[in-house]
Amino acid sequence: MPVVTLYKHRLENLVGKGIDEIKAMLPYIALDIEEEGNDYIKVEYNPNRPDYSTDYGIARALKGLMDIEVGLPMIEVKKSSIRFMVDDSVKDIRPYIVALLASNGRLDGEDVRQLISMQEDLHMGLGRRRKKASIGLHNYDRVKEPFYYTTVDDSFRFVPLNYSSEMSIKDILASTDVGKEYSHLLSNADRYPIIKDSYGNVLSFPPIINSNLTRIDESTKNILVEVTATDINTAQDVLAVIAVTLRDMGFTINSVDIHTNSKILTTPDMRNRSMSIDINYANSILGIDLSADEMVRCLKRCRLDASYNGNAIICTIPRYRIDIISKIDLVEDIAIGYNISLLEPRYPRLKAMGSKDKTLGILDHARDVLIGLGMLEVINFSLVSYELQYKMVNRDISSSKVLLVKESKSKEHEVLRDMLLPSLLNVLAKNIHEPYPQRLFEIGKVFMYDCLSIKEHYNVACVIADAHTDYTEAKSYLQAFLKHLFGYDVVTEPIEDTLYEHGRAASIMVNNISIGSIGEISKSVLNNFRIRVNVSAFELDLSKLLGIEYSI
Amino acid sequence: MNRKDIIALHDIEYKILLALYDMISKDTVYNNTLSLEDLVNRTLLNIDQVRRGIEWLKYKGLVKVEEGERKMVTLGDAGKRAVNDGLPEEILNNTLKSLKNVLEIKELRRMIRLDEKEFNAAIKHAIRKGIIRIEDGKLIYIGMWYSREKDDEYILLKRIHDSNGLFKEELNDKELKVLEYLIKRPGYIVERSVKHTSVSLAEKGMELVKQIKSGAIIRSIDVTAKAPIIYAGKKHILQEVIDEVREILIGMGFEEIDGSIVQYSFWNFDALFTPQDHPAREMQDTFYIDIDTGRKASNNNNNNSNYGIASDELITSVSNIHEASWRYRWSMDEAKRLVLRTHTTAVTIRYLAEHRPKEANVFSIGRVFRNEKVNYKHLAEFHQIEGIVVSDDVTLRDLMGIQQEFYKRLGLSKVKFWPTYFPYTEPSLQSMVYHERLGRWVELFGMGIFRPEVTEPIGVKSRVLAWGGGLERIAMLKYGIDDVRELYSNRLSMLRGTPLCQL
Repeated sequence: MPVVTLYKHRLENLVGKGIDEIKAMLPYIALDIEEEGNDYIKVEYNPNRPDYSTDYGIARALKGLMDIEVGLPMIEVKKSSIRFMVDDSVKDIRPYIVALLASNGRLDGEDVRQLISMQEDLHMGLGRRRKKASIGLHNYDRVKEPFYYTTVDDSFRFVPLNYSSEMSIKDILASTDVGKEYSHLLSNADRYPIIKDSYGNVLSFPPIINSNLTRIDESTKNILVEVTATDINTAQDVLAVIAVTLRDMGFTINSVDIHTNSKILTTPDMRNRSMSIDINYANSILGIDLSADEMVRCLKRCRLDASYNGNAIICTIPRYRIDIISKIDLVEDIAIGYNISLLEPRYPRLKAMGSKDKTLGILDHARDVLIGLGMLEVINFSLVSYELQYKMVNRDISSSKVLLVKESKSKEHEVLRDMLLPSLLNVLAKNIHEPYPQRLFEIGKVFMYDCLSIKEHYNVACVIADAHTDYTEAKSYLQAFLKHLFGYDVVTEPIEDTLYEHGRAASIMVNNISIGSIGEISKSVLNNFRIRVNVSAFELDLSKLLGIEYSI
Repeated sequence: MNRKDIIALHDIEYKILLALYDMISKDTVYNNTLSLEDLVNRTLLNIDQVRRGIEWLKYKGLVKVEEGERKMVTLGDAGKRAVNDGLPEEILNNTLKSLKNVLEIKELRRMIRLDEKEFNAAIKHAIRKGIIRIEDGKLIYIGMWYSREKDDEYILLKRIHDSNGLFKEELNDKELKVLEYLIKRPGYIVERSVKHTSVSLAEKGMELVKQIKSGAIIRSIDVTAKAPIIYAGKKHILQEVIDEVREILIGMGFEEIDGSIVQYSFWNFDALFTPQDHPAREMQDTFYIDIDTGRKASNNNNNNSNYGIASDELITSVSNIHEASWRYRWSMDEAKRLVLRTHTTAVTIRYLAEHRPKEANVFSIGRVFRNEKVNYKHLAEFHQIEGIVVSDDVTLRDLMGIQQEFYKRLGLSKVKFWPTYFPYTEPSLQSMVYHERLGRWVELFGMGIFRPEVTEPIGVKSRVLAWGGGLERIAMLKYGIDDVRELYSNRLSMLRGTPLCQL
């Protein structure tokens, strides 16, 4: 979740209230305070409000909620004569471009930092890691319109941002960090998008990197903003968020004309849209009883505009509010404008009844029986390492049966376990300095893949670790378990299994079906775990016994 | 009788005291002491128990223990032979009895079956004991009176033999003198020093036994002593919390359901209005299963192009809503990818799609998975609870009320709510509870009302309130644990040592 750093004095200036009052309000516009220093606060915001990526956006919302400035933020867009000429060759690579000019503004160092931070957040969020859209911020005074959005081959050279000499497209993609990270977005063609001005100067190589020529800093007075994209709606969303932010920073917003061979598009598109909502709908969802007039005020506090006609509220939504998708989103804004802290919880009359899940109830009984037998429950993860699940227990398994997860961030979480015993042995290995006997059990899900489907079963497994434990002890526990739980008499038929000592292992049979295994863990396996006492164990498939399973 | 007067006696101590006491009345030579071996024999305890008992009694001042060394004599090889066959002088005597009274020594030497050394010894001792006399080189027999029963040396050898060795203290003065002779004869006697513990009753011990025997005091045990530790069978501490939460919710009228961990992306994301290009769906945050679902599907008898994930109708509905709201191209390939569920909401949404209830209160607790780096706050696998209320007339305030009641039953009575965001609920709220012991507010569950975009495609017409969150945090608050990994460490000292009731 994206994080933005807010300097306290700036916030106070922007909002016109003291920092304590501001801090108390922040959670009520869905911001989480992550960290606080003497002069700053770091807040985490939700990705559905990209306009919160700078302190300007947050201040705009706070001013509304605190009744300092309500209703639509007014954005006047002046017309300019700037043109972008779009070449057909971008159509199959990165077809769309929108842009604006922000003029006559003044930036300080923090403003620049905030702009860059917003740009990054938009790239990651709405831009979907630049795939859907990417942004270029340019010092307009260094370039001359008309601008050309076209393609070049990979030998084309220019000086990229923060470099001092020319590099070819090929080099940029191969050797710069940002080139390596995003080159996959351009892998399907042998031509590369480029934005140039009328002198042939490069503004940027989207979505990779801008040129050094147009870098912005505190001295920049006029900013040319361009957004290139694979989706036109996303491009306009992004541009609208930038537009309203730059306007709050004190810039004048000017539109530009995008010329393709089929039409001319004037951007930014800052048109408002309209949505209507019935007051009964909102009241019934929230559980309150506001009048139309009160609701209008709530919406205005959320920086929307609204009017009413009888029970119908007509709401005007500015372009940058991409979080408002349908009527229900207005209901939330009404609640926020009303202030959540004023909503009183009340307990409803619930008409349905409570009950335990039948299978889970049986597992509860199984757990009770084992606890009654004096055993200690342990809980292990379902995702384990391949080494633990197969190698440490000398299991030979065909790789097509192993359930791996892709690209795990850790070697400890690689495979879904298909039996519980390896994890239990691991617990014993970690507790060799604790007093013996150690009698442990686990009830948990195991996952099996037979190339047709993935099945999830509940297994029960027990281990007994002690100098003198043996097969007989384990079998006593197994007998008691099945007898107390289901009244079953267990039969054990000899088997050979590399997990157990030769000649000291058996298959657990109930009604002539094998439901698990029991035995003395082999010395070789105990060695792998460095366990220095004997271990007897059993594991059985409860789902198989009960005849139920999940399968996908 | 006050506590000071009661001397606690272990069973072992009592037996030893009695044995020492009983022995006093018997006739013994040895100052009323018993050796350790004697005690073993008389008490029928084993030597370790006797040793321990003696130590405890000594510490309590009830017995006196003397460690010393005693000399013990046993028979050497020659001595053993002499006991069986007779001393050489007796052999000589027996031979001479049947012969003439006067003999040449040479003649005798020829007749007797002793070797040279023994023959010479026999002659020497026979002279000493008065069995023969030598005159003018001739042997004169005078031993008609001799028998082994009259030979002190033989008697002593036999006595030592029968007793399997004797301590020198057990010999009287006369025997000691005889022993001196025997010692001079090579191979007859073996002398060694043996460590010897002699135990006797101290006066205090004597008094105590008398009092016990007369019934004046009652023999007691040390009730303050620690007994051997045994460990109870126990539920895992996290399972305790899970079961407590289950009980609370069932008590509030909620039905428990369980669902599969492996889910199609469709149910984990798409049906929950999460667009296919949403960052959370990337491998960064989600575990995808590494099997080829295409291969799996082609093995299916199911001719459905949707692989049996959901009905055609539902899939069309959901894909349409996605494309209209998020403006992208919806893909079946993406929806059929298998994931480890990232939230239990996948289970509840499937329940809703299957049952389409008008009224329901349902909850599910289960494991969920996030492809994250593990640290003190985050796990890749943890337990989540999800609850829903389906009803025509429930509101956001009711949702807040349910949370409040749930927290109250967990012992958390101060709750705060504020807005947040989830892709599938609107409005959405977050809750914080005040934890008394920690002295601060802690974030707990998130909640919201399912968006119409979620409920309409699956055909649920009633409103659905939903809430949930991780359970580990509740366990950490309850047990005072700061590092979430501790809950899965399975350290036996912690599992064995954490009390059930956290008062």
